[in-house]
Amino acid sequence: MSSDATYQRAGRLEVRALEKRYDDERTGDSVLALERADFEVEGGEFVALLGPSGCGKTTILNIVAGFISQTAGEVLVDGQAISGPGADRGVVFQSFALFPWKTVRANVAFGPKMRGMDKQERRQLADEYLELVGLSGFEDKYPHELSGGMQQRVGVARVLANQPAVMLMDEPFASVDAQTRMTLQEELTRIWQERRPTIVFVTHDVEEAVFLADRIVVLAPHPGRVREIVEVPLTRPRVWDDILGNDRFKETVHHVLGLLKAPQVTEQPTVEAET
Amino acid sequence: MSAPSVADQRPVVAPTLGFRRRLLDNTVVRNVGPFMPIVLLWWLIAELEVFPSAFFVGPDVVAVRLVELSRNGILTGYLADSLYRLGTGVLVGLLVGGVFGLIIGLSRVARRFAWPLLVFFQAIGDIAWLPLLIVWFGFSLLSVTAVIVYTVVFPLALSITAGIASVPEDMRRASASLGAGRWQTLTEVVLPGALPGVVSGMRTGLGYGWRALIAAEIIVGTSGIGFMMFDARRVGEVTDVFLGMIVLGVLWYALDALILAPLERETVERWGMVRRPAAAAK
Repeated sequence: MSSDATYQRAGRLEVRALEKRYDDERTGDSVLALERADFEVEGGEFVALLGPSGCGKTTILNIVAGFISQTAGEVLVDGQAISGPGADRGVVFQSFALFPWKTVRANVAFGPKMRGMDKQERRQLADEYLELVGLSGFEDKYPHELSGGMQQRVGVARVLANQPAVMLMDEPFASVDAQTRMTLQEELTRIWQERRPTIVFVTHDVEEAVFLADRIVVLAPHPGRVREIVEVPLTRPRVWDDILGNDRFKETVHHVLGLLKAPQVTEQPTVEAET
Repeated sequence: MSAPSVADQRPVVAPTLGFRRRLLDNTVVRNVGPFMPIVLLWWLIAELEVFPSAFFVGPDVVAVRLVELSRNGILTGYLADSLYRLGTGVLVGLLVGGVFGLIIGLSRVARRFAWPLLVFFQAIGDIAWLPLLIVWFGFSLLSVTAVIVYTVVFPLALSITAGIASVPEDMRRASASLGAGRWQTLTEVVLPGALPGVVSGMRTGLGYGWRALIAAEIIVGTSGIGFMMFDARRVGEVTDVFLGMIVLGVLWYALDALILAPLERETVERWGMVRRPAAAAK
């Protein structure tokens, strides 16, 4: 594949002293949603942002995506400060956000179309990425004709076909059933190994984070801040059947759960351990 | 390459449909069937002379009159006049309402400014303008067209505005982060996303316009179906009133079946953007 080279070393993401403060217009108070977050994601690395609600993980993702602006700090992609949304940072949404009036193929070809790729070429590209996510034969369907899990495969293919420097995923599997979720998680690790995109994956599910990521940025809430960055000592490929009984998996999950539960200034009952 | 188990997720279509099902799916049966009992009842009431025949005529009389008025060209002429007025009014109304709706839907400033005006002028209602319009334009086609335009513009503009507002934020964001510029996001995402609103606005607008036309023809009329009905009342010809009412119903039904319904089927329904009971169960 000609596109592989683009994923090799490019796609380095740096988050520097990132801070987000929301102003409440009525009361005039300001709420600190994120306090000086610092971390880096190497090109081709798979990093999870993990934490309970209120920890600022989605805030970080939205700032990195360029959907909202930070109060302080900066985000660099391959050394360049970002401003606003751009094709170098593709986003996979929890809501899928597919375009219902476009076929599956046209959804995947959307990015290439926006940058002016000719029709034949982008059609080919779209079909290639649909094959990658296991959706060959569904090119001419409309999104609503597919199951939730399949729709999110389209969401992943749509971003990858656009060959971004970084793929941002915002709790992408939170709205599919448990069985499908496990399949999608395995599929994602397979695709990641094949193509090596840089992935930043937001989740509140500890096991999901440990299963998927190379490193986990564990966040704490109120105000949102980085608690610890955890290395995941698991080899790849990763398959749930093997991983579930793996001692290092269990230890890492344990360790991360401990981080989330460790006494804080204000104890948050929102943290739950999923099994 | 691992293949997902997708085969079982396809909708299952029953291989054969029973006779009853086929009968109910037949176009003629579906469209004409429900009216049969009503026509029968109507005929019965007329035959039994529950009301004096000068006030209440049966379907047979109306049918004869239909043939007669069609042959001498009066009905067809009036029909053409009415449809022409409706067509002109709706076309101009769609254009004006469409442009207004887009501007209001896309610009927060325009919305804040235009909303009170929209609510105020919509409240005045179409027919309420007629006295003034007649003073200005006389008993002319222009007065009738103006009323229709006025009627169509508001529901359409409001629906388009609502349609644009209903495009999910995530879709706009997805578009932007896939590299689309503002203009591309507008044409590729916001406008198609607003289509359910546009379609429902067209349906309401056309319906309102249709009623406004008949009312305007009754008041302003020199020709047209509305005029025919009111003129018939003046000379005590109940048959023509009955006929006019039926023509109105049939015309709207045809308009809906031939234009509106296929438009919806090919767009918002095909894309799963409107949830019908059957689809919602999924």
